[in-house]
Amino acid sequence: MRRLRKYKPFVRASAIDMMAYRFNIITWAIVTVFEVACLIFLWLAVYQSSEGGIDSSINGFTYKEMIVYVVLTTIFGFITFNDDTLWFINRDIRQGTIGNFLIKPISYRGKFIASNIGAFLMMSIVFGIPLYAAGLGVLIGIGYLPVASVWDFIAHFALFLVASVLACLLNGVISYIFGILCFYTSAAWGLNALKTTVISFLSGTLLPIAFFPNVFREIVTYMPFAGMSQNPVLILMMKYDYLECCKVILISLAWLVLLELFAKLLFSRAIKVVTVQGG
Amino acid sequence: MIEVQELTKIFRKPVRGKGLIGMIATLFSRKYTEIRAVDGVSFNIPKGEIVGYIGSNGAGKSTTIKMMCGILTPTSGKVLIDGKEPYLKRRIVAKDIGVVFGQKTQLWWDIPLVESFKVLKEVYQVSDSDYEARIKFLSSVLGIDEFMSQPVRTLSLGQRMRADLAASMLHNPKILFLDEPTIGMDVLVKDKIRTAIHALNAKYHTTVVLTTHDMADIENLCSRLIMIEKGKIIYDGPLGDIKRRFGNIKTLTLTIPPNIDPNEVEPFSDDIIMSVDEDKVILGFDADKVNLEHVVQYAFSKYHAIDMKIADISIEDVVKKILSQQEEEHAKAKKI
Repeated sequence: MRRLRKYKPFVRASAIDMMAYRFNIITWAIVTVFEVACLIFLWLAVYQSSEGGIDSSINGFTYKEMIVYVVLTTIFGFITFNDDTLWFINRDIRQGTIGNFLIKPISYRGKFIASNIGAFLMMSIVFGIPLYAAGLGVLIGIGYLPVASVWDFIAHFALFLVASVLACLLNGVISYIFGILCFYTSAAWGLNALKTTVISFLSGTLLPIAFFPNVFREIVTYMPFAGMSQNPVLILMMKYDYLECCKVILISLAWLVLLELFAKLLFSRAIKVVTVQGG
Repeated sequence: MIEVQELTKIFRKPVRGKGLIGMIATLFSRKYTEIRAVDGVSFNIPKGEIVGYIGSNGAGKSTTIKMMCGILTPTSGKVLIDGKEPYLKRRIVAKDIGVVFGQKTQLWWDIPLVESFKVLKEVYQVSDSDYEARIKFLSSVLGIDEFMSQPVRTLSLGQRMRADLAASMLHNPKILFLDEPTIGMDVLVKDKIRTAIHALNAKYHTTVVLTTHDMADIENLCSRLIMIEKGKIIYDGPLGDIKRRFGNIKTLTLTIPPNIDPNEVEPFSDDIIMSVDEDKVILGFDADKVNLEHVVQYAFSKYHAIDMKIADISIEDVVKKILSQQEEEHAKAKKI
């Protein structure tokens, strides 16, 4: 525990940073509201034009469930995916500030994990609590998200929190891996675009993985991305029973360990090619 | 304490073609040029010594320092800090070293200095009592308490340097690497920094390795010099030896009126070497052999100097002299 204490300042610093950008966050939130509205109308059109009409179920999702999915995925992404790991690594390499970390008795990876946790905590407390409360309140209130038993809901919510933390850490390590590639190329912008696209497509943020074609769907289900957006949201929607919840959480956990090991290996190789500017 | 064995660092730089076509060509084939920034350097530094690591720009000083503190990995050879290689055991060695790069700060730009110190206190796990005691000592030698609560970006260069030096000493490292700690400072700040380095060395027996371009830094601080040029060590020994070899060489630069032809002025003696650079006359002499007062009088009476400047020999001059001496020795050795 004592060894972890030295990362505390980085948790605090990124939490404070997050609040420094609150204006950006609010502007972004307004844009997001419009996006959600568009998606709702889009799905409305899809369901209305399907054979069974608005009450039909497409790939296991009814219209109501799809709306709940869209709203919760948006809130989830807003709270969970806000890390600048890739940009920070890129800047550290270009400006040579990476040296400042290499001469300190802390792990470079550890510093980013601490930052991810700090940002996540701050976002969860400041925006997460009101947004989830309002979102869930409305969705349950209008009957789009039926709650049969309160205890069942609370248990799923607890599992959802676990899955959220894992999603945040998975997102962090994937960003970090893409960031390390900046050691070899200066195409940070392209790397970031690639990362964002891959994550939003394969995590089910754009549309649920159930909509993908057969074999592809099976593969994507067992990839780390599913645990980064779709699975936590489906846990919260109580679409998974407890066994399935545990299964997807364990898959995420296994991927997290695997990716962290891979990141460690990648970093130890990349660090050998560091050339600090102005040597 | 510090052992450096056959240390070599080769940088590979891609050769880029000229113009647009050349740029496209480099997309498909990459040629590299190799630059030997550090080339087979070896030395040992015992505990408590203050060593000046000097050389001209691009000689390989900073690259060596960066390998010694674990930022860069050597191409071959090794560095041992207390028996451990810093680039392999980064986090363990980091506790024993403090580093200051004169060109870059390690402090957090936007937060008050004292907050930066508190972050470092946690990062290095310094106990409360040690922290208090060290801050007290560092404030007294560096005078940092007057700007403790200011954000780092509002500090002047001299203040920031003192703050950086204090930051690097908070965890009481066994070794302090200072890369050009007095660059861009005025005389008063330079003096304060030198006094502080002495005080730290005396109180904690900190081993100090410093690179500098300022001859005065070396005279004030270092007992030993390691000189590097083009990645190779050209001198390693006590400061006194260098002085004995080159004497206490000073240059006197005179601005003379246009009506005086410097080549017609009668020479002072063989001990003074005169050279002309446009309207300037440069007199080089050994201040231990020739009386400075006599030279100045001579300059005014014979040259009618309008303005004058006295300077110590620069590091570049010393390097040049050592190199030319070595070449002479080589030439002699070949003849025999």
